[in-house]
Amino acid sequence: MASHSVFKDETKLDINYIPSKLPHRDSEHRLLMEFFSFMLRYPERMAQRVIVTGDVGTGKTALTQRFGADMTSETKKRAIKFRYIHINCREYRGSLALILHHAVAVFRPTYPSRGFSGEEILRTLLQVLDEEDMHVILTLDEFDSVIEKEGSDAVYKLTRLQEMQQGKPQRTSFIFIIRDLKSIEQLDASAKSTLQRNIISLERYGKDQLIDILNDRVVMAFELGAVPEDVVFLVSELAIGESGNARFAIELLWRAGKYADAEDAELVEPECVRKAVSAIIPGLRRSELASLGLHERLLLLGVARYFKESQEAYASLGEIEKAYGVVCEEFDEQPRGSTQVYNYVQYLSSLGILKAEVATVATRGRSTRISLPAIPAVELEKQLSASLEKDKA
Amino acid sequence: MELEEVFSSKPRMRILKLIYTLGSLNVSNVAKKIGLNYASTSEHLKVLEAEGILQERTYGRVRMYRFNEGSAKAKAVQNLIDAWEQ
Repeated sequence: MASHSVFKDETKLDINYIPSKLPHRDSEHRLLMEFFSFMLRYPERMAQRVIVTGDVGTGKTALTQRFGADMTSETKKRAIKFRYIHINCREYRGSLALILHHAVAVFRPTYPSRGFSGEEILRTLLQVLDEEDMHVILTLDEFDSVIEKEGSDAVYKLTRLQEMQQGKPQRTSFIFIIRDLKSIEQLDASAKSTLQRNIISLERYGKDQLIDILNDRVVMAFELGAVPEDVVFLVSELAIGESGNARFAIELLWRAGKYADAEDAELVEPECVRKAVSAIIPGLRRSELASLGLHERLLLLGVARYFKESQEAYASLGEIEKAYGVVCEEFDEQPRGSTQVYNYVQYLSSLGILKAEVATVATRGRSTRISLPAIPAVELEKQLSASLEKDKA
Repeated sequence: MELEEVFSSKPRMRILKLIYTLGSLNVSNVAKKIGLNYASTSEHLKVLEAEGILQERTYGRVRMYRFNEGSAKAKAVQNLIDAWEQ
Protein backbone atom coordinates (compact mmCIF):
# COMPACT_ATOMS: atom_id res chain seq x y z
CA MET A 1 0.00 0.00 0.00
CA ALA A 2 1.34 3.43 -0.97
CA SER A 3 2.24 5.71 1.93
CA HIS A 4 1.52 8.74 -0.18
CA SER A 5 -1.23 9.29 -2.73
CA VAL A 6 -1.46 11.51 -5.80
CA PHE A 7 -5.19 11.72 -5.12
CA LYS A 8 -6.87 14.32 -2.98
CA ASP A 9 -10.38 12.94 -3.59
CA GLU A 10 -10.64 10.16 -6.16
CA THR A 11 -14.46 10.02 -5.88
CA LYS A 12 -14.42 13.08 -8.15
CA LEU A 13 -13.32 10.71 -10.94
CA ASP A 14 -16.06 8.19 -10.26
CA ILE A 15 -18.45 7.44 -13.11
CA ASN A 16 -21.40 8.45 -10.92
CA TYR A 17 -19.96 11.78 -9.82
CA ILE A 18 -21.83 14.71 -11.35
CA PRO A 19 -19.84 17.96 -11.16
CA SER A 20 -21.66 21.18 -10.26
CA LYS A 21 -20.79 22.59 -13.69
CA LEU A 22 -20.34 20.69 -16.94
CA PRO A 23 -17.73 22.36 -19.14
CA HIS A 24 -18.86 22.92 -22.75
CA ARG A 25 -22.43 21.82 -22.12
CA ASP A 26 -23.81 25.19 -20.91
CA SER A 27 -26.04 25.85 -23.91
CA GLU A 28 -27.52 22.33 -23.83
CA HIS A 29 -28.17 22.67 -20.09
CA ARG A 30 -29.87 26.03 -20.67
CA LEU A 31 -31.99 24.51 -23.42
CA LEU A 32 -33.14 21.71 -21.13
CA MET A 33 -34.04 24.23 -18.41
CA GLU A 34 -35.95 26.22 -21.04
CA PHE A 35 -37.89 23.13 -22.22
CA PHE A 36 -38.98 22.45 -18.64
CA SER A 37 -39.37 26.02 -17.40
CA PHE A 38 -43.18 25.60 -17.41
CA MET A 39 -42.75 23.11 -14.58
CA LEU A 40 -41.53 25.86 -12.31
CA ARG A 41 -44.35 28.23 -13.23
CA TYR A 42 -47.38 26.05 -13.99
CA PRO A 43 -46.39 22.51 -12.98
CA GLU A 44 -49.77 20.89 -13.61
CA ARG A 45 -50.65 22.39 -16.93
CA MET A 46 -48.46 20.46 -19.30
CA ALA A 47 -45.96 17.66 -19.67
CA GLN A 48 -42.86 17.62 -21.85
CA ARG A 49 -40.92 15.12 -23.91
CA VAL A 50 -37.31 15.72 -24.90
CA ILE A 51 -34.77 13.52 -26.66
CA VAL A 52 -31.10 13.84 -25.74
CA THR A 53 -28.82 12.18 -28.23
CA GLY A 54 -25.07 11.84 -28.83
CA ASP A 55 -22.19 9.37 -29.04
CA VAL A 56 -20.68 7.45 -26.13
CA GLY A 57 -18.94 9.80 -23.69
CA THR A 58 -20.53 13.02 -24.95
CA GLY A 59 -22.10 13.72 -21.56
CA LYS A 60 -25.73 12.68 -22.09
CA THR A 61 -26.08 11.07 -18.67
CA ALA A 62 -24.05 13.73 -16.87
CA LEU A 63 -26.04 16.53 -18.52
CA THR A 64 -29.44 15.08 -17.63
CA GLN A 65 -28.43 14.21 -14.08
CA ARG A 66 -27.01 17.70 -13.56
CA PHE A 67 -30.24 19.12 -14.93
CA GLY A 68 -32.24 16.78 -12.65
CA ALA A 69 -30.34 17.98 -9.58
CA ASP A 70 -30.84 21.62 -10.59
CA MET A 71 -34.56 21.11 -11.20
CA THR A 72 -34.84 19.42 -7.81
CA SER A 73 -33.36 22.39 -6.00
CA GLU A 74 -35.41 24.90 -8.05
CA THR A 75 -38.70 23.11 -7.36
CA LYS A 76 -37.80 22.82 -3.68
CA LYS A 77 -37.36 26.60 -3.48
CA ARG A 78 -40.84 27.00 -4.97
CA ALA A 79 -42.41 24.30 -2.76
CA ILE A 80 -43.39 22.18 -5.78
CA LYS A 81 -43.53 18.45 -5.05
CA PHE A 82 -41.11 17.08 -7.62
CA ARG A 83 -38.87 14.04 -8.20
CA TYR A 84 -36.27 13.52 -10.88
CA ILE A 85 -35.99 9.80 -11.68
CA HIS A 86 -33.12 8.56 -13.87
CA ILE A 87 -33.40 4.96 -15.08
CA ASN A 88 -30.92 3.06 -17.21
CA CYS A 89 -33.24 1.01 -19.42
CA ARG A 90 -30.54 -1.48 -20.42
CA GLU A 91 -30.27 -2.57 -16.77
CA TYR A 92 -33.89 -3.72 -17.12
CA ARG A 93 -33.22 -5.34 -20.49
CA GLY A 94 -35.44 -2.75 -22.18
CA SER A 95 -38.61 -4.08 -20.52
CA LEU A 96 -41.11 -1.26 -20.11
CA ALA A 97 -42.91 -3.01 -17.24
CA LEU A 98 -39.69 -3.40 -15.23
CA ILE A 99 -38.59 0.16 -15.99
CA LEU A 100 -41.89 1.63 -14.88
CA HIS A 101 -41.89 -0.62 -11.83
CA HIS A 102 -38.63 1.06 -10.79
CA ALA A 103 -40.42 4.43 -10.99
CA VAL A 104 -43.38 3.16 -8.94
CA ALA A 105 -41.01 1.67 -6.36
CA VAL A 106 -39.53 5.13 -5.72
CA PHE A 107 -42.86 5.98 -4.04
CA ARG A 108 -44.15 2.49 -3.14
CA PRO A 109 -41.02 0.42 -2.41
CA THR A 110 -43.00 -2.74 -1.62
CA TYR A 111 -45.14 -2.70 -4.78
CA PRO A 112 -44.95 -6.23 -6.25
CA SER A 113 -42.73 -6.45 -9.30
CA ARG A 114 -44.00 -9.49 -11.14
CA GLY A 115 -46.93 -10.28 -13.37
CA PHE A 116 -47.92 -6.84 -14.62
CA SER A 117 -48.01 -5.39 -18.10
CA GLY A 118 -46.34 -2.08 -18.93
CA GLU A 119 -49.74 -0.45 -19.26
CA GLU A 120 -50.90 -1.66 -15.83
CA ILE A 121 -47.80 -0.31 -14.15
CA LEU A 122 -48.12 2.95 -16.04
CA ARG A 123 -51.63 3.40 -14.66
CA THR A 124 -50.36 2.56 -11.17
CA LEU A 125 -47.64 5.19 -11.56
CA LEU A 126 -50.19 7.84 -12.52
CA GLN A 127 -52.39 6.88 -9.57
CA VAL A 128 -49.47 7.01 -7.15
CA LEU A 129 -48.42 10.44 -8.46
CA ASP A 130 -51.97 11.73 -7.98
CA GLU A 131 -52.02 10.36 -4.42
CA GLU A 132 -48.72 12.02 -3.65
CA ASP A 133 -49.57 15.23 -5.57
CA MET A 134 -46.17 14.73 -7.19
CA HIS A 135 -44.59 15.78 -10.51
CA VAL A 136 -41.83 13.75 -12.06
CA ILE A 137 -39.32 13.93 -14.87
CA LEU A 138 -38.54 10.37 -15.89
CA THR A 139 -35.26 10.13 -17.73
CA LEU A 140 -35.05 6.89 -19.67
CA ASP A 141 -31.34 6.40 -20.35
CA GLU A 142 -30.30 4.02 -23.15
CA PHE A 143 -33.87 4.16 -24.43
CA ASP A 144 -32.62 2.43 -27.60
CA SER A 145 -32.93 -0.84 -25.65
CA VAL A 146 -36.67 -0.24 -25.07
CA ILE A 147 -37.22 0.49 -28.77
CA GLU A 148 -35.29 -2.67 -29.60
CA LYS A 149 -37.31 -4.85 -27.22
CA GLU A 150 -40.78 -3.33 -27.22
CA GLY A 151 -40.94 -1.37 -30.49
CA SER A 152 -43.53 1.27 -31.31
CA ASP A 153 -46.04 0.01 -28.78
CA ALA A 154 -44.02 1.09 -25.75
CA VAL A 155 -43.25 4.52 -27.18
CA TYR A 156 -46.89 4.95 -28.08
CA LYS A 157 -48.02 4.10 -24.54
CA LEU A 158 -45.59 6.52 -22.96
CA THR A 159 -46.31 9.37 -25.32
CA ARG A 160 -50.09 8.88 -25.03
CA LEU A 161 -49.94 9.57 -21.30
CA GLN A 162 -51.24 13.09 -21.72
CA GLU A 163 -54.40 11.78 -23.43
CA MET A 164 -54.95 9.30 -20.58
CA GLN A 165 -54.73 12.20 -18.15
CA GLN A 166 -57.05 14.59 -19.97
CA GLY A 167 -58.79 16.99 -17.60
CA LYS A 168 -56.41 15.96 -14.79
CA PRO A 169 -53.12 17.52 -13.70
CA GLN A 170 -50.17 16.63 -15.95
CA ARG A 171 -47.52 15.09 -13.75
CA THR A 172 -45.16 13.03 -15.91
CA SER A 173 -42.55 14.42 -18.30
CA PHE A 174 -39.95 12.38 -20.11
CA ILE A 175 -36.37 12.71 -21.27
CA PHE A 176 -35.39 9.94 -23.64
CA ILE A 177 -31.64 9.37 -23.97
CA ILE A 178 -30.89 7.75 -27.30
CA ARG A 179 -27.37 7.05 -28.55
CA ASP A 180 -28.30 6.79 -32.20
CA LEU A 181 -31.35 8.54 -33.66
CA LYS A 182 -31.45 5.87 -36.36
CA SER A 183 -33.11 3.57 -33.82
CA ILE A 184 -36.20 5.81 -34.01
CA GLU A 185 -36.45 5.07 -37.71
CA GLN A 186 -37.79 1.59 -36.98
CA LEU A 187 -40.82 3.02 -35.15
CA ASP A 188 -44.12 3.48 -36.91
CA ALA A 189 -45.08 6.95 -38.11
CA SER A 190 -47.35 7.95 -35.21
CA ALA A 191 -44.88 6.87 -32.50
CA LYS A 192 -42.08 8.63 -34.35
CA SER A 193 -43.96 11.88 -34.73
CA THR A 194 -44.89 12.09 -31.03
CA LEU A 195 -41.28 11.50 -30.04
CA GLN A 196 -39.38 13.74 -32.40
CA ARG A 197 -40.27 17.18 -31.15
CA ASN A 198 -37.50 18.47 -28.96
CA ILE A 199 -34.12 17.05 -29.72
CA ILE A 200 -30.85 18.04 -28.06
CA SER A 201 -27.83 16.65 -29.90
CA LEU A 202 -24.52 16.52 -28.08
CA GLU A 203 -21.53 16.83 -30.39
CA ARG A 204 -18.36 14.86 -29.73
CA TYR A 205 -15.85 16.70 -27.55
CA GLY A 206 -12.81 18.17 -29.27
CA LYS A 207 -9.31 17.98 -27.84
CA ASP A 208 -9.40 21.43 -26.21
CA GLN A 209 -12.77 20.68 -24.66
CA LEU A 210 -11.46 17.39 -23.26
CA ILE A 211 -8.47 19.24 -21.82
CA ASP A 212 -10.84 21.65 -20.04
CA ILE A 213 -12.90 18.75 -18.67
CA LEU A 214 -9.77 16.92 -17.50
CA ASN A 215 -8.24 20.03 -15.96
CA ASP A 216 -11.41 20.57 -13.92
CA ARG A 217 -11.26 17.02 -12.61
CA VAL A 218 -7.51 17.22 -11.96
CA VAL A 219 -8.09 20.22 -9.65
CA MET A 220 -10.88 18.39 -7.81
CA ALA A 221 -9.37 14.92 -7.59
CA PHE A 222 -5.58 15.25 -7.42
CA GLU A 223 -3.05 16.86 -5.13
CA LEU A 224 -1.71 20.16 -6.40
CA GLY A 225 0.89 19.57 -9.14
CA ALA A 226 0.47 15.78 -9.17
CA VAL A 227 -0.68 15.72 -12.79
CA PRO A 228 1.67 17.50 -15.22
CA GLU A 229 0.18 19.39 -18.15
CA ASP A 230 1.58 17.01 -20.77
CA VAL A 231 -0.14 14.07 -19.06
CA VAL A 232 -3.47 15.86 -19.45
CA PHE A 233 -2.61 16.41 -23.15
CA LEU A 234 -1.72 12.75 -23.57
CA VAL A 235 -4.95 11.55 -21.95
CA SER A 236 -7.01 13.93 -24.08
CA GLU A 237 -5.29 12.71 -27.23
CA LEU A 238 -6.02 9.11 -26.35
CA ALA A 239 -9.65 10.01 -25.71
CA ILE A 240 -9.85 11.72 -29.11
CA GLY A 241 -8.77 8.37 -30.56
CA GLU A 242 -11.80 6.93 -28.75
CA SER A 243 -14.20 9.37 -30.49
CA GLY A 244 -13.79 12.16 -27.94
CA ASN A 245 -15.14 9.97 -25.15
CA ALA A 246 -14.94 12.04 -21.94
CA ARG A 247 -15.89 9.10 -19.74
CA PHE A 248 -12.96 7.14 -21.16
CA ALA A 249 -10.63 10.12 -20.54
CA ILE A 250 -11.70 10.48 -16.91
CA GLU A 251 -11.43 6.76 -16.26
CA LEU A 252 -7.98 6.72 -17.86
CA LEU A 253 -6.87 9.58 -15.65
CA TRP A 254 -8.08 7.71 -12.59
CA ARG A 255 -6.31 4.50 -13.62
CA ALA A 256 -3.09 6.40 -14.33
CA GLY A 257 -3.34 7.85 -10.82
CA LYS A 258 -3.75 4.34 -9.43
CA TYR A 259 -0.57 3.20 -11.25
CA ALA A 260 1.28 6.22 -9.84
CA ASP A 261 0.09 5.30 -6.32
CA ALA A 262 1.11 1.68 -6.81
CA GLU A 263 4.63 2.88 -7.58
CA ASP A 264 4.54 5.33 -4.69
CA ALA A 265 5.27 8.11 -7.19
CA GLU A 266 4.79 11.80 -6.44
CA LEU A 267 3.55 12.51 -9.97
CA VAL A 268 1.32 10.83 -12.52
CA GLU A 269 3.82 10.26 -15.30
CA PRO A 270 3.17 9.50 -18.98
CA GLU A 271 4.27 5.90 -18.37
CA CYS A 272 1.39 5.54 -15.86
CA VAL A 273 -1.02 6.63 -18.60
CA ARG A 274 0.48 4.14 -21.03
CA LYS A 275 0.13 1.35 -18.48
CA ALA A 276 -3.43 2.42 -17.75
CA VAL A 277 -4.42 2.55 -21.39
CA SER A 278 -2.94 -0.85 -22.10
CA ALA A 279 -5.20 -2.19 -19.36
CA ILE A 280 -8.20 -0.75 -21.18
CA ILE A 281 -7.26 -1.09 -24.85
CA PRO A 282 -5.35 -4.14 -26.01
CA GLY A 283 -1.92 -2.75 -26.87
CA LEU A 284 0.65 -4.17 -29.18
CA ARG A 285 -0.01 -7.73 -30.25
CA ARG A 286 2.96 -10.07 -30.53
CA SER A 287 2.01 -10.92 -34.12
CA GLU A 288 2.28 -7.23 -35.05
CA LEU A 289 5.75 -7.10 -33.57
CA ALA A 290 6.91 -10.18 -35.46
CA SER A 291 5.78 -8.67 -38.75
CA LEU A 292 8.03 -5.62 -38.34
CA GLY A 293 11.39 -5.39 -40.13
CA LEU A 294 14.69 -5.32 -38.24
CA HIS A 295 15.20 -1.54 -38.39
CA GLU A 296 11.59 -0.83 -37.54
CA ARG A 297 12.07 -2.88 -34.38
CA LEU A 298 15.42 -1.20 -33.65
CA LEU A 299 13.81 2.21 -34.02
CA LEU A 300 10.92 1.15 -31.80
CA LEU A 301 13.37 -0.09 -29.17
CA GLY A 302 15.03 3.34 -29.29
CA VAL A 303 11.60 4.96 -28.77
CA ALA A 304 10.79 2.63 -25.86
CA ARG A 305 14.13 3.38 -24.13
CA TYR A 306 13.77 7.12 -24.72
CA PHE A 307 10.34 7.23 -23.04
CA LYS A 308 11.37 4.83 -20.29
CA GLU A 309 14.30 6.99 -19.28
CA SER A 310 13.04 10.51 -19.95
CA GLN A 311 9.56 10.38 -18.37
CA GLU A 312 8.50 12.83 -21.07
CA ALA A 313 5.23 12.41 -22.97
CA TYR A 314 6.60 13.62 -26.31
CA ALA A 315 9.87 13.42 -28.22
CA SER A 316 11.16 15.18 -31.32
CA LEU A 317 12.19 13.25 -34.42
CA GLY A 318 15.82 14.22 -33.73
CA GLU A 319 15.70 12.75 -30.21
CA ILE A 320 14.21 9.52 -31.53
CA GLU A 321 16.83 9.33 -34.29
CA LYS A 322 19.55 9.69 -31.66
CA ALA A 323 18.07 6.93 -29.49
CA TYR A 324 17.78 4.71 -32.58
CA GLY A 325 21.47 5.35 -33.37
CA VAL A 326 22.49 4.11 -29.89
CA VAL A 327 20.42 0.92 -30.31
CA CYS A 328 21.96 0.29 -33.78
CA GLU A 329 25.42 0.54 -32.26
CA GLU A 330 24.45 -1.98 -29.58
CA PHE A 331 23.18 -4.45 -32.20
CA ASP A 332 26.06 -3.75 -34.56
CA GLU A 333 23.85 -2.36 -37.30
CA GLN A 334 24.43 0.62 -39.60
CA PRO A 335 21.65 3.19 -38.85
CA ARG A 336 19.41 4.24 -41.74
CA GLY A 337 19.26 7.87 -42.88
CA SER A 338 16.86 10.55 -41.62
CA THR A 339 14.37 10.16 -44.48
CA GLN A 340 14.11 6.43 -43.87
CA VAL A 341 13.74 6.97 -40.10
CA TYR A 342 10.92 9.42 -40.86
CA ASN A 343 9.26 6.76 -43.06
CA TYR A 344 9.55 4.17 -40.27
CA VAL A 345 7.93 6.59 -37.84
CA GLN A 346 5.06 7.20 -40.26
CA TYR A 347 4.58 3.46 -40.77
CA LEU A 348 4.62 2.67 -37.02
CA SER A 349 2.21 5.55 -36.53
CA SER A 350 -0.16 4.09 -39.14
CA LEU A 351 -0.14 0.83 -37.16
CA GLY A 352 -1.16 2.77 -34.06
CA ILE A 353 2.00 1.80 -32.15
CA LEU A 354 3.42 5.32 -32.19
CA LYS A 355 1.74 8.61 -32.68
CA ALA A 356 3.43 11.14 -34.94
CA GLU A 357 1.97 14.58 -35.37
CA VAL A 358 3.19 17.81 -36.83
CA ALA A 359 3.64 20.51 -34.22
CA THR A 360 4.31 24.14 -35.01
CA VAL A 361 7.20 25.63 -33.09
CA ALA A 362 7.15 29.43 -33.25
CA THR A 363 10.85 29.94 -33.79
CA ARG A 364 11.68 26.97 -35.99
CA GLY A 365 8.58 26.29 -38.09
CA ARG A 366 7.09 22.76 -38.25
CA SER A 367 8.49 19.72 -36.51
CA THR A 368 7.32 16.15 -35.88
CA ARG A 369 6.28 15.29 -32.34
CA ILE A 370 6.29 11.63 -31.38
CA SER A 371 4.50 9.93 -28.52
CA LEU A 372 3.94 6.39 -27.38
CA PRO A 373 0.29 6.62 -26.44
CA ALA A 374 -0.99 3.15 -25.74
CA ILE A 375 1.84 0.81 -24.76
CA PRO A 376 3.95 1.01 -21.61
CA ALA A 377 7.57 1.73 -22.61
CA VAL A 378 8.85 -0.91 -20.19
CA GLU A 379 6.62 -3.58 -21.72
CA LEU A 380 7.55 -2.57 -25.27
CA GLU A 381 11.27 -2.66 -24.48
CA LYS A 382 10.93 -6.13 -22.97
CA GLN A 383 9.09 -7.53 -25.99
CA LEU A 384 11.45 -5.92 -28.52
CA SER A 385 14.60 -7.00 -26.73
CA ALA A 386 13.34 -10.59 -26.66
CA SER A 387 12.45 -10.44 -30.35
CA LEU A 388 15.83 -8.93 -31.38
CA GLU A 389 17.83 -11.36 -29.24
CA LYS A 390 15.95 -14.22 -30.92
CA ASP A 391 17.00 -12.87 -34.33
CA LYS A 392 20.65 -12.71 -33.24
CA ALA A 393 20.69 -16.29 -31.99
CA MET B 1 -65.10 -5.72 17.59
CA GLU B 2 -63.84 -5.48 21.17
CA LEU B 3 -60.27 -4.36 21.83
CA GLU B 4 -59.20 -7.70 23.29
CA GLU B 5 -60.65 -9.49 20.28
CA VAL B 6 -58.73 -7.36 17.79
CA PHE B 7 -55.40 -7.78 19.53
CA SER B 8 -55.76 -11.37 20.73
CA SER B 9 -54.81 -12.72 17.32
CA LYS B 10 -51.12 -13.50 16.79
CA PRO B 11 -51.29 -13.19 12.97
CA ARG B 12 -52.97 -9.76 13.29
CA MET B 13 -50.24 -8.54 15.60
CA ARG B 14 -47.63 -9.86 13.19
CA ILE B 15 -49.35 -8.08 10.30
CA LEU B 16 -49.37 -4.80 12.20
CA LYS B 17 -45.68 -5.08 13.08
CA LEU B 18 -44.83 -5.96 9.48
CA ILE B 19 -46.73 -3.04 7.95
CA TYR B 20 -45.31 -0.73 10.60
CA THR B 21 -41.81 -1.76 9.45
CA LEU B 22 -42.35 -1.83 5.67
CA GLY B 23 -44.88 0.95 5.11
CA SER B 24 -47.33 -0.71 2.77
CA LEU B 25 -47.77 -4.24 1.45
CA ASN B 26 -50.06 -6.23 -0.81
CA VAL B 27 -51.95 -9.28 0.45
CA SER B 28 -49.67 -11.90 -1.16
CA ASN B 29 -46.59 -10.31 0.28
CA VAL B 30 -48.07 -10.13 3.78
CA ALA B 31 -49.17 -13.78 3.53
CA LYS B 32 -45.70 -14.85 2.43
CA LYS B 33 -43.93 -12.93 5.16
CA ILE B 34 -46.09 -14.13 8.05
CA GLY B 35 -46.36 -17.69 6.69
CA LEU B 36 -50.14 -17.80 6.40
CA ASN B 37 -52.38 -18.67 3.44
CA TYR B 38 -53.82 -15.94 1.23
CA ALA B 39 -57.47 -16.30 2.33
CA SER B 40 -56.74 -16.10 6.08
CA THR B 41 -54.36 -13.21 5.60
CA SER B 42 -56.94 -11.35 3.56
CA GLU B 43 -59.53 -11.92 6.35
CA HIS B 44 -57.19 -10.54 9.03
CA LEU B 45 -56.43 -7.52 6.89
CA LYS B 46 -60.13 -6.86 6.39
CA VAL B 47 -60.68 -6.95 10.17
CA LEU B 48 -57.91 -4.41 10.69
CA GLU B 49 -59.34 -2.26 7.93
CA ALA B 50 -62.84 -2.45 9.34
CA GLU B 51 -61.46 -1.28 12.70
CA GLY B 52 -59.99 1.76 10.92
CA ILE B 53 -56.40 0.79 11.76
CA LEU B 54 -55.36 -0.03 8.22
CA GLN B 55 -56.53 1.33 4.91
CA GLU B 56 -56.60 -0.39 1.56
CA ARG B 57 -55.51 1.13 -1.76
CA THR B 58 -56.19 -0.67 -5.02
CA TYR B 59 -53.79 -0.27 -7.94
CA GLY B 60 -55.25 -2.24 -10.83
CA ARG B 61 -55.15 -5.85 -9.63
CA VAL B 62 -53.05 -5.08 -6.55
CA ARG B 63 -54.49 -4.37 -3.11
CA MET B 64 -51.98 -2.61 -0.86
CA TYR B 65 -52.53 -2.10 2.87
CA ARG B 66 -51.00 0.58 5.08
CA PHE B 67 -51.79 2.40 8.31
CA ASN B 68 -54.78 4.70 8.06
CA GLU B 69 -53.10 8.07 8.40
CA GLY B 70 -56.18 9.92 9.66
CA SER B 71 -57.09 7.37 12.33
CA ALA B 72 -56.41 7.82 16.05
CA LYS B 73 -56.47 4.03 16.50
CA ALA B 74 -53.75 3.62 13.85
CA LYS B 75 -51.63 6.23 15.59
CA ALA B 76 -52.10 4.50 18.96
CA VAL B 77 -51.09 1.12 17.51
CA GLN B 78 -48.00 2.63 15.88
CA ASN B 79 -47.02 4.25 19.19
CA LEU B 80 -47.49 0.94 20.98
CA ILE B 81 -45.27 -0.95 18.50
CA ASP B 82 -42.72 1.84 18.59
CA ALA B 83 -42.50 1.72 22.41
CA TRP B 84 -42.51 -2.07 22.51
CA GLU B 85 -39.90 -2.68 19.83
CA GLN B 86 -37.34 -0.14 21.05
